[in-house]
Formats: sequence, C-alpha cells, structure tokens
Amino acid sequence: MDTPHITNGIGKSQERREDFRFLTGTGKYVDDMNLDGQAYATVLRSPEAHADISSIDVAEALALDGVLAIITGEDWKAAGYNPIPTKSAVRKSIDGSDLKEPPHHPLAIDRVRYVGQPVALVVAESIDVCQDAMELIDVDYDSLPSVSHQSEAIKDGAPQIWDIAPNNICLDFELGDQEAQKKAFGEADHIITLNLVNNRVTAVPLEPRGALATYDADTGKYTLWNASQNIHAGRDTIADAVLGIGKENLHHIAPDVGGGFGAKNGVYPEPILILHATKLLERPIKWINDRSESFLSDTHGRDQVSTVQLALDSDGTFRGLRTETIGNLGAFCGTVGPFTPTGGSSRTQGGPYRFDAIYYTAIAPFTNTCPLDPYRGAGRPEGSYQMDRIIDYAAAQLGMDPIELRRKNLIPPEDLPMKSPMGLDIDCGNFPEVFEQTIALSDRDGYEARVQKSMAAGKKRGYGISMYLECTGGGPKEEAKVSFREDGKIDLSVGSSSTGMGHETAFAQILAGHLGLDIDDVAFHQADTDATAIGGGHGGSRGLEVGGSAVLQTSRQIVEVGKKIAAHQFDVDADKIEFSEGRFHVPGSNHTMTMREAIDAQNDPDVLPDDLEPGALNISSVFERGIISIPNGGHAAEVEVDPETGIIKVDGYWVMDDFGTIINPMLADGQVMGGVAQGIGQALMENIVYDDGGQLVTGSLMDYAMPRADDMPKMVIGYYEDAPTAKNLLGVKGAGEAGCVGAPPAIVNAVCNALKDLGVHHIDMPLTPERVWRAIKDAKTS
Amino acid sequence: MPLITVHVNGVETTKEVEPRTLLSTFIREELKLTGTHVGCDTSQCGACVVSIDGKTVKSCASFAWQFDGAQIKTIEGLANGTELHPMQEAFRTHHGLQCGFCTPGMVMTAVALVESNPDISEDDIREGLEGNICRCTGYQNIIEAVKTGAKAMRG
Amino acid sequence: MYEFDIITPNSVEAAKSAFEAAEDGQFLAGGQTLIPVLKQRLAMPSDLIDLDHVHELSGISTMGDSISIKAMTRHAEVAADHEVQTAIPALAKLANGIGDMHVRNRGTIGGSIANNDPAADYPAAVLALHATIVTDRREITADHFFTGMFETALEEGELITELRFPIPEAASYMKFANPATRYALVGVMVAKSHNNVRVAITGAGPCVFRDAEMEQALTLSFVPESIKDGMIPADDLNTDIHASREYRAHLISVMVRRAVAEASG
Repeated sequence: MDTPHITNGIGKSQERREDFRFLTGTGKYVDDMNLDGQAYATVLRSPEAHADISSIDVAEALALDGVLAIITGEDWKAAGYNPIPTKSAVRKSIDGSDLKEPPHHPLAIDRVRYVGQPVALVVAESIDVCQDAMELIDVDYDSLPSVSHQSEAIKDGAPQIWDIAPNNICLDFELGDQEAQKKAFGEADHIITLNLVNNRVTAVPLEPRGALATYDADTGKYTLWNASQNIHAGRDTIADAVLGIGKENLHHIAPDVGGGFGAKNGVYPEPILILHATKLLERPIKWINDRSESFLSDTHGRDQVSTVQLALDSDGTFRGLRTETIGNLGAFCGTVGPFTPTGGSSRTQGGPYRFDAIYYTAIAPFTNTCPLDPYRGAGRPEGSYQMDRIIDYAAAQLGMDPIELRRKNLIPPEDLPMKSPMGLDIDCGNFPEVFEQTIALSDRDGYEARVQKSMAAGKKRGYGISMYLECTGGGPKEEAKVSFREDGKIDLSVGSSSTGMGHETAFAQILAGHLGLDIDDVAFHQADTDATAIGGGHGGSRGLEVGGSAVLQTSRQIVEVGKKIAAHQFDVDADKIEFSEGRFHVPGSNHTMTMREAIDAQNDPDVLPDDLEPGALNISSVFERGIISIPNGGHAAEVEVDPETGIIKVDGYWVMDDFGTIINPMLADGQVMGGVAQGIGQALMENIVYDDGGQLVTGSLMDYAMPRADDMPKMVIGYYEDAPTAKNLLGVKGAGEAGCVGAPPAIVNAVCNALKDLGVHHIDMPLTPERVWRAIKDAKTS
Repeated sequence: MPLITVHVNGVETTKEVEPRTLLSTFIREELKLTGTHVGCDTSQCGACVVSIDGKTVKSCASFAWQFDGAQIKTIEGLANGTELHPMQEAFRTHHGLQCGFCTPGMVMTAVALVESNPDISEDDIREGLEGNICRCTGYQNIIEAVKTGAKAMRG
Repeated sequence: MYEFDIITPNSVEAAKSAFEAAEDGQFLAGGQTLIPVLKQRLAMPSDLIDLDHVHELSGISTMGDSISIKAMTRHAEVAADHEVQTAIPALAKLANGIGDMHVRNRGTIGGSIANNDPAADYPAAVLALHATIVTDRREITADHFFTGMFETALEEGELITELRFPIPEAASYMKFANPATRYALVGVMVAKSHNNVRVAITGAGPCVFRDAEMEQALTLSFVPESIKDGMIPADDLNTDIHASREYRAHLISVMVRRAVAEASG
C-alpha cells in the first residue's frame, strides 16, 4: 500500500470526548458497577514463597454468617478445568525442545510457589464478611526452600520449583549470527564489557484489577465485566481453553479501565474463579483487588540481568554486539511471559546503530516470585537500555565522546530499508537527523552556564542522551465496525482497548474526519465481544497502527459504497464520483450529495442501486497489519546531583520522536510524557524487591516509590514527521511505549556524565540517593 | 448505629452508618457517588480526595460519622449541570487526564490549592500535588491545567 | 476492619471517663495513622474515643517565651499560624512538610507525639526545642517523653492536652524524606537557646534521639564545620531498603550541617 496522504481531522489536537465523564466523576469503572443480588469475593493468598499445602480447613469459615462459598484448590482440581495456557510466541529452546510450561491453575493445588498466589476464593454477602472468613481459614503449610533471584535459580543445587524444568529453566534462546559476531569481535580493536541490571518494576495502574461476573441460568450465558486490556483473546482463553464453556457463552466486556500499561493484558486467575462461582451460586459476584494485592499479584515487569559486550574500533566504528541475558518469569509462564526476555528483548538489539554482527542469548528461568508479563515496552526498554548504556560506558573507558560515537554509528537513511542483524525490518527513518534534532532541542548553548550555576550550589550537572529504536507488536488484526443509527448517531465499534490513550477521540477523529461528519455524533464502543467479532485488544502500541488503520479502512469502504449510492442518484457511473469535504460530487457538474444524505438514503430500497441492500453503508472491515513499524527517537536529559546526599534532580528533558504521521499531537505528547515518567520512575526510584525468603518487601506504596508531580522535570517534545511508514494505512509508528524505552538510558547516562570526574562510570537502577552516594564513595577509595 | 446528617454537593442526607464505614465507602456505596475512587489501601494515592468544609480530605482515611453536619463536596458537585467548573475545563483543554482514575481527586485538590492560594506558582502546584499520584500523564499537563484553571478562577 | 463502638466526648474529663469505661479503648485524633492501621486489621479496639469535639484541645497561643499548641491542632494550622511562623519558623516548616496537604488537614500534633513513630517529624522538634508535654494529669519534659519505638512515657489512658515550645534564638529542621512515604528517613532539628545547642534526630534510629557530641561541638561553635563525619556511629541506626545505617549516619552529619547553616543565616 502506498504512504497515505491524510487530511481531514488528522494532525488536529482534538480535545477528548471521554473527558467529560472522567472530569465529572461519571465514568464507569468496574467497581462502580453493581448488580442486584451481588455477592463479593476475596482471594486468600499464600504467605509462603514455596510450600506444600498439607491441609486447608474451611469449616469454621464456611459456618460464618454471610459466607456463601469457599473454593479451594482441591475443589478446583475436582472441577477438572484446564490450566491457563501461555501464549508466548517463542516456544522453543535453542536445542529445539519445547519450552517448559508448568500447569497454571487459578488456585494453588497441593503447593504454593509465590507469596500472593491464590489459595482459596471466598464469596460472601460483604467484603467485611469475606475478610472475617479468610481469618478463619486454617491452611497448614510445609515450607520448602525457595529462590527469588534468577542468577541463584539457575545454579545447580537451587531449590527446584517445577519438576519439568531442571535448573528452573523454562527455555533458552538465541538470535543473530554467533559466528559473524565472533569474527567481528576478533577483528575489532576494543571489546568493552558491562554488567547491567534492568530492575524489576510493577505497572501500578491507579485502578486496581477487578471484575464482575454474572450467569444467566436460562440461557447458559456468562457476562464478565473485567478491568482487562485484552477482551477477545481473554474470552477465548477463559471460555474455551480453561473453563470449556464455549466462547459463544461468555460475553466479555471492559468498562472504563483506569490504566493498564500491559499489566491488565494477561489472563489472570481471579476472573476465572468468579465465573465458576457465579454459576455455582447463581448470583453476580464482584471481586476487586486492593493495592497491596496488586503489588503481590499484578504481573511484574522487566527484571533482567545482562552482560553486554560492544566491539568497536579505535576510530569509534561499532563492529559487533553480544548480549547475554537472564530474565525472570516468576513462578509460572505468564500469558506472554517467556517472550519478553527472548523474542521481546532480542528483536531491537543494536537499536538504530550500524553493526556488522549481533548475537543475543537469553535464559528465562522460574523463581518463587509473582509471574512477570509485559509492562510498557515489554523487552524493548531492556534492549534499549543495554545499547545506550554500553555506548556511554565504552566512551568513558576509551576517552571518546558519547555523542560523537553515536553520530558515527547511526544507520544513515540511505541504508534503509534494511534488515537489521536481528532480522528486524527497518523500513524508514532518519536516525542521524532525529539525533541532531534531539540535540538541537536540548538547549546546548545554555548548558555551560547551567553547569556553573550547579557548581556554585555545590552540585554536579550532567547531560545524557539515548537514541532508541523500538518496534510495535500486539495482535496484527483489528475490526472496525460502523453503523449509522436512525437518530443520526454513528456507532463505531473496535476490538482494540484504550485504557486512557484516547482511542475514543482519535478513532472518532479519523472516522469523522474522513467522512466529513461531526465527531460529536460518533458513539464509541470498544473491548466488547458482542460489539465486534474479533479484537486484538491492547499491546505493543498497536492502537492507531492497527485499530486506527481499521477505522480508516472501514471509512474508505463506506465512501466507496457511498459513491455507488450517489452514482445511482445522479445516474452516472460510480467511477465518475469524487468524494471530498464530506460531499460526493461529479466534477464539472452540479451533482452533489452529502455523506449525511447518503446515510439517510441507505435504508430506502427505492433509491438504492440494485446491487446494494438497505444498510449498505453499515460496514465492518478487518485490517491486518503486514509488518510491525519502527518508532524511534532521541531522549536527552539534564540532571543535577548533590554529591553529599546522592539526591538527583532531573532538571531538563527533551524528546524528539519519529512516530510517522501524528494523528492527534496532544494525545501523542500525553503518551510520551507518561512513558517518560515511568522511565524516570524505573531509573531513579521504583524497585520491586523480594528478600531471600521470597517475601515481597515492597508490597505497598509505603515502600514502592512512585514519581510525583515534584519529581518530574519539564518535558519538551518534538516530532520528526518526514518518514511516515507505508506499513499501515495511517503511516503511524506506534507511540504508546516509546517514552519508557528511551528514558532510563538517558537518565543514567546523564548521571554518569555528571559524576564522571568523580570516577563514577556506572550505577545500577534505581539510582537511589544511597546508591549514588556509595558509587561516589567507592570511586574515591578505588 | 450512628445517624449522621451530611450536606453532599448541596444536598442534605441523613443516613445510618456503621462506625467502621469509611467516608469513601459511604460516598460510593450509600450515596452512589462513584466519582470518588479508591486507588490504594495505605492512604497515599489521593484518588479518594474530597473537600470537607473547604478543606481536602482523603475519604479513605476517614470515617463517615466523623463528618456529621459537614459540607462535603465531591467531584460530582463541581460542575453546574453540563457547564464545567473552570478547573475541569482547564484539565480538558490541556489533556490533564488519560485514564481518568486519579482525576476526581486531582481536580478537587487543584481547586483547593487555588482557592487557598489564587496566585499559586508552578513550584507550589507541584508541591501541592504531592499527595496525588497519576500514572498516566507524567503530571506536566496537569500542571498546565492547574495554571489555566487558576487564571480562570481568579476571574 | 473489625467492628468497634464510638464515643464522642466534649471535654477532657469526659474523654478520660470514656477511656476508663471502655474495654479496650483507643483515642482517635486525626486518624491519619490510626485509620490505615485499623484498615489493615492490625488493631482491634473495642471503642474509639473521638477527640474532635473536645474543643479545649484546639488552639495556638503565645505565652510569654513559649508557644502553646493544643493537642488536636492540625499540622496545616501549625504550618499556617502567624505566631509560629514568626517565633519558631522551623516548626512551621516542619509541620508544612508532614505527609501531604490532605494529611496535614487532619493529622494532629498530639496524635503524632503520642504515637511516636520513629519516622515522624514532630518528635525531633519536641526534643530539640525542649518542649513540655502537658497531659490531663501532669507535665512531662521532652527528654523524658520518648522512651522507645512507638513508646512514650504516657500512662494508659493518659491524654496529651498541650505542647509548650520555648521560643529558641534560632532553629532549623532539615529532612531527608523516604521517597515512597515522605516520612523522615533522617530528620534533624537543631535549636540554639541561651548559648546552648540541642540536636534531635528522628527517622534514623528506633526512636528520636539527641547527640551529645554534636551538641557540645555546636555549643562551642555554632558553625557547620563543627560537625565532623563519623560523629554518629552507624551501629544502632535503622537499616532498610530505602537507606542503610551507614548512609543514615552520613546523612545525619550532612543534615545537621545544613540545619546549622540555615539557622545561622
């Protein structure tokens, strides 16, 4: 398909239509929904990291007034359901053997393998009764040795979590050309090695996970409202794969969802449990996690330990890259789980830089911790961090300028399109230009004066830059369905899932813009298995790329049919009709018909051509993305470090992004800024910590630090729009995750730049004040 | 069970409450005003903030009975029908919200900040919002919204 | 949360009687600590005795060379009070840094002191400023009040009614905050009065404490340079994922120096 020339509403910072209800408190999140006769469910969670369940006594709890049911692992086993399958796209180890997939049941059966794992579901008339009941459940645990850290888990002699996975390894992985990489390393003048930790974090969407399930005994159908980002695939897994109720019998809907960032993509135990219970009790059941449970049970993100090696010549030319990673899956394969440290992190190795060869290997082990699944970026932030940290580190080791080093090695536009050494199709982009524009945006002229000012206050100032190249992902197909109502409104239904990204506005913008209609007439529906037959949900920054393209495709099909209606009206051939600015017309004549008039005509068989049925403009189409797009860009950061305390202030932040066509600049900015905040959070303060006994130390907001308004710098964002991609109808490159891909290396680079005179060349994330202080201290003594 | 009379968004209501009923639970479940959200269980996220006798309060760290006789304002009481309060309007213009979950608490806090300090500076806004977490926006547009809302409220 | 009954007395006497009569009563001040504790089911009082309507427990006034702050005075009121801002600006600054705006609208000085959270801010001020804690039955000096982690000299049912802060010549509070909770990982108050310097450190140890060596050095010469590294041994300090004891020991020196600089300048 050719690169589209888009007008009509595209590029406009259209204000959001969903804002009215969010601003007036009339949004409907799952906890805002209540059904008559509803009961409440809570989950009893394991306090042990690894233990056999020798007995569970629920008698006293069941006898409590108001308790309706208690379901344990034994009950679940007796029900005979299948486990929750992993959908990892990478399923084989290097030797060709299948990944080790342990059975993931929604309740622990016989043994618990992480603190927080569901052990029983309690259903009662109120949450208070549920909590009283949970205290009366007597579980006898026989503790087993546990292992929390991935490097320990793969060692001989480590506690075995799953019999099927020796050394706790689920799978191993390689990508790239090892021979070529060895050759490049052999020829290069220098090899620089850096050990990196990409710290474990968690998504913390402000709305905790929750769901409301109900069962209609007459029809045998279930309805599940779920704070989930993956409704159609989730429905298939829950209904077909696990419960065996048949997907036609599960109506799965996401109401308004308060953020997700990937942590609401996967299939979780609790909604499955309440579906079982709602049929058992024939009452609606509501379950809502509290925040402490979210920390225990929302799938975590990142957590990779890597050794990165960069081979380069004395003139700075990059020759080869070798990355070895140990990921962490937690106690089970997540819905995507094994893919993140393998396929996810390998694909974009090398970033926008030229390499002769790259070789990547990974091990994905189990540990006695909460399962991990995609969190914004899902493997690519790890890859970008590895790349841009070692560049700065190498520069420091070799006395080179990190900016010059990048300049020298960025892939020039004339080399594109190309396949990277990782097999990634890089179709378009202008990395050197984006790099220069990033630098230009970041007020380098004023830098020296700011350094002096910092010094006068006893502080160190540093500048760091990163050039990220990332790729999109998620489901490649999306359905967009349009129907025109009698009352003049337009129903637009899509199978994608927006949890704050603004699809309700952006997609309506595309539709209304293309058809020349009023955006306020569009009624938006998403994430509902009754509204669209298929749906790719959320993930991999696919919203505009796939969903938006589907909307545009459907819009175009509507225009084509409209042309036939107009042609019949004007008694000319359809190919004489043109459509622009909301009107069908025949150039050189005064025949004209508005889209509205065509819509009004569409139900009248008397005015329709013979080959069209009434309702012909009500069209649904499925768009399938060919290949993923390549968002890329530059992040620059300035930090001020207080060497006495180690406190870091991020004092300036600039971003130049290539997202192809920008549909709604205001929404794009929002995605970037939110992503940058998460990246800064990971770089400076966020950390999920398990102790050696597998207890979650950072189990609430008391211990898990989140960026707040006074932690954030002013962010300046620019867009490079001269390289729209031909890979989808809109020319867009998914923007949703890029912010947190580019930020961590830019921040860490800036801090190391600030402290280089003190001999500090690397600090692992999060760069807490103490870690900074220690790094300075250690550099002094060494 | 204690009987309390509260004035919520200008409407007087008398209800029986259990001593342990949190104000957030009372607002959401008794009064069916679900705009006030619960985002955490350690009273740190600010999503539950409402205004009581003109001062912001975390409704999840309060009991309903503590406010017998009080004037309570929730997010639902800010707009005038479909006419948004200038602060709400400012949040919309500046894209100061994405998923909307932190928004009610954030807007109530912003209004209170400006009411107590009409000429509030950016630094004071950032500091004033330290009790409200947003995961989506990175705060920048919220800050811009508060500045614009302040200007509009100053008249 | 477990169930409990509530009593809303209008006077200190009535509050005391209510406590005596209750099977396992607990006073409720601002609730910003107690209510989260109850939500976690970490406490199970039979009765909550609400102090909100005991009006004799509210108010700030200057009494000669002291500022009197009644126990139920909210942090926001202390922070905004003109008399406090003028006479003991460090105290107003401390109050203004407690938690966040919403917490400050409800939390009280009496509640904070009675609880004696090792990471609370007020204990540093009470100790450094040599305040007197007035209760329903006696007066306790600051040096005798804080006895251990979450422990004070208060007897069962003893109710703090007022805190009296002598007005210092100069004082400053410096805080290094826990990034998650914004409690003090290390909070130091330095106060100079009658050529005598008191240094109180909160957050770093199991309980707020003074340091004699630092006080002597600063009494001799009230300049930042009087504080040498290593004056506070790390051994007895708190250690957790947010700050090790060595780091806290280091921070204490840094914060004290900065407090002295601010108090002098």
